[in-house]
Amino acid sequence: MGNKQTIFTDEQLDAYQVILTKPIVVFVGFFSPSRLHGRYHELAPHLVPMDYTKDPDCKLPLALIVNMPELKENPFRNRIVESFSEDGMGNLSFNEFVDMFSVLSEMAPRELKAIYAFKIYDFNVDNYLCKEDLEKTLNKLTKEELTPEEVQLVCEKAIEEADLDGDNKLSFADFENMISRAPDFLSTFHIRI
Amino acid sequence: NFGGGVQSYFLLLRFLVLLNLVSFLLIAGFVVIPSIVLRAVHSSPANHTGPEECMKYDPNPQGLVAFYNYVLDFLSGMGFMEYSYLFYGYYSNTLVGDRNFSYNIPLAYLFTVVFYFAFCLICIMAMGTAARIAVATGGSAAGNYSMIVFTGWDYGCLGDRATKLKQKNIHYRLQVDLEEQLMKERAASLTLSQKVVLYTLRIFLGFVALGLIGAACFSIFEATVFSQGILGLILEYLPSIVITAGNFLVPLLCEQIALVERYRPSTTVILALLSVFLRLVSLGVLLFTLWGQIKCQVDLEKCDLCQYNHEEYPCWETRVGQEMYKLTLFDLIVTIGALVLVEFPRMLVDNWSNKVARWVGRQEFVVSANVLNLVDGQTVVWTGALFCPLLPLINTAKFVILFYCKKVTLFANCRPALKTFRSTTSNFFFLMVLLFGWAMATLVMIYSVAIHPSMGCGPFRFFPYMWAIVPMSFYRLSEVTQDFLFFVGSQAFSVPLFALS
Repeated sequence: MGNKQTIFTDEQLDAYQVILTKPIVVFVGFFSPSRLHGRYHELAPHLVPMDYTKDPDCKLPLALIVNMPELKENPFRNRIVESFSEDGMGNLSFNEFVDMFSVLSEMAPRELKAIYAFKIYDFNVDNYLCKEDLEKTLNKLTKEELTPEEVQLVCEKAIEEADLDGDNKLSFADFENMISRAPDFLSTFHIRI
Repeated sequence: NFGGGVQSYFLLLRFLVLLNLVSFLLIAGFVVIPSIVLRAVHSSPANHTGPEECMKYDPNPQGLVAFYNYVLDFLSGMGFMEYSYLFYGYYSNTLVGDRNFSYNIPLAYLFTVVFYFAFCLICIMAMGTAARIAVATGGSAAGNYSMIVFTGWDYGCLGDRATKLKQKNIHYRLQVDLEEQLMKERAASLTLSQKVVLYTLRIFLGFVALGLIGAACFSIFEATVFSQGILGLILEYLPSIVITAGNFLVPLLCEQIALVERYRPSTTVILALLSVFLRLVSLGVLLFTLWGQIKCQVDLEKCDLCQYNHEEYPCWETRVGQEMYKLTLFDLIVTIGALVLVEFPRMLVDNWSNKVARWVGRQEFVVSANVLNLVDGQTVVWTGALFCPLLPLINTAKFVILFYCKKVTLFANCRPALKTFRSTTSNFFFLMVLLFGWAMATLVMIYSVAIHPSMGCGPFRFFPYMWAIVPMSFYRLSEVTQDFLFFVGSQAFSVPLFALS
């Protein structure tokens, strides 16, 4: 460590190397906790402490996080942040912040990305992608340039293609099956930070 | 951002620019620069001459020439431009060089052209294999709605403009698939009588399309015959005008026909691609007519003296070169003219009034038509390379201008074309079409090499046919070299060589 400011204790650093909490694995290969911390800190310098050795309980609100340049133009930015927050309202602690960017990094495995993609597209958080969820997704994708009939048609077709158990909505298994056949899912579900 | 098809177009354009530039450097290095730099030292390798009548060739006009004549000459390749390094007729048929070193211009000319064709073929094959790999491995299954919805968005997309373009991209991908879907459903839901009516209509319109193509070919034939005897710029350009008009109108009509018949978009696309045959066929008709005139299909006695029509074509290779030159130039003028006169006002209209724009229809960058233009232009250059050595250079400049013009058009005016291509297969298809054009140009070259060169001009002045220079030069080499070359060509050497490679 030398003369670097001690932001994290050694134990915390070890913990950040490979943490297996819930289904999240943190990959520190491409970015160090210190760098991410720097980004987290600059979102709200007066709120975020420089010293994390005492495990402070600090959460940043949704409004601050979606202003990051990597997320600002993304039509799904609100849903992304909400999916990673414990309270579902978009308030991220530093741990959750790191989780978010590690899942969206190149090194996260496909299964993990699929889990979070499912959460992001599930607007009403009922663990199923129903027609309303798809409609909202589609509108965000095309910036509402499709006519309502076209939206209906595309949503029906999409559900028809992916629905395996025939309940007219997509469960996680359906979603994951469909994603496994998409060749460029890994490269598109990726934010570089 | 505008779809894979547009990217293919610009890739193809870039490839062609490079190809033309390298070919020009080749030709310049082996033919033009030695001709300019070195002076003739020996007399012609062929020691016989022809009848006095056939050798008369006087391209330079007598007396005072008005200034506007220079402009006319520049556009038609006659006058001061005719007897210049631009055309075949200027190159000497002698050896050039200085005391210790001699360089056989006719041989170099022939070999350079042959090598140029081989080089172009190799380049096209190389691009083709690369494109074919892309077809085999890549290319997501577009048309799959759930894929587009859930994996279409690139999360790494940064910036307002990139985001907007991505959204437009997804929007029209969905629209294309929806359109195809609707067409399929409509086609499936026809009753028997409706189907009969539809098929009859299709057959009838097929005949109409064939008739249109036939009429176009006939008018090209007539225009070429008519323009050969008389001077005047419009008449000079008549074949080019008719070809360009035909290339423009017939696909347009076919498209309207296709709309009437309510074909699926992919069928319309195939129809658009079939118009490449129309373009190459029109070029073929032009050449066929020209040669008909040169070889006197009409008045047989004119060709008795020199085996070609020496009265109207004292230097027929230059004439053919001029036609190709005019075609290239006219294509460029029309493209720039269309850009300035048609697309620019449309852009202004779009920006001012949305309602009028909706009525006229936003500009689309139609990939197929543009690619066919490129292939057509390149085929003209290949056909004319034997007769107009500087044509690849002109074509390089033309394509560079075209590149920047189209780029400006694309970003300022257009929205992405609705009827879009699957880019991976289209890359491959465009190269196939280019190959077809190359094959046609090669046929033309082989035919030209085999008929009697004109006696008034050019490097092959007194040979019975162009290829005759090769045996003649071969026997002038020293004994040792001759034996070595015989050995290399013999079976004892070449068979093991093929086995090893």
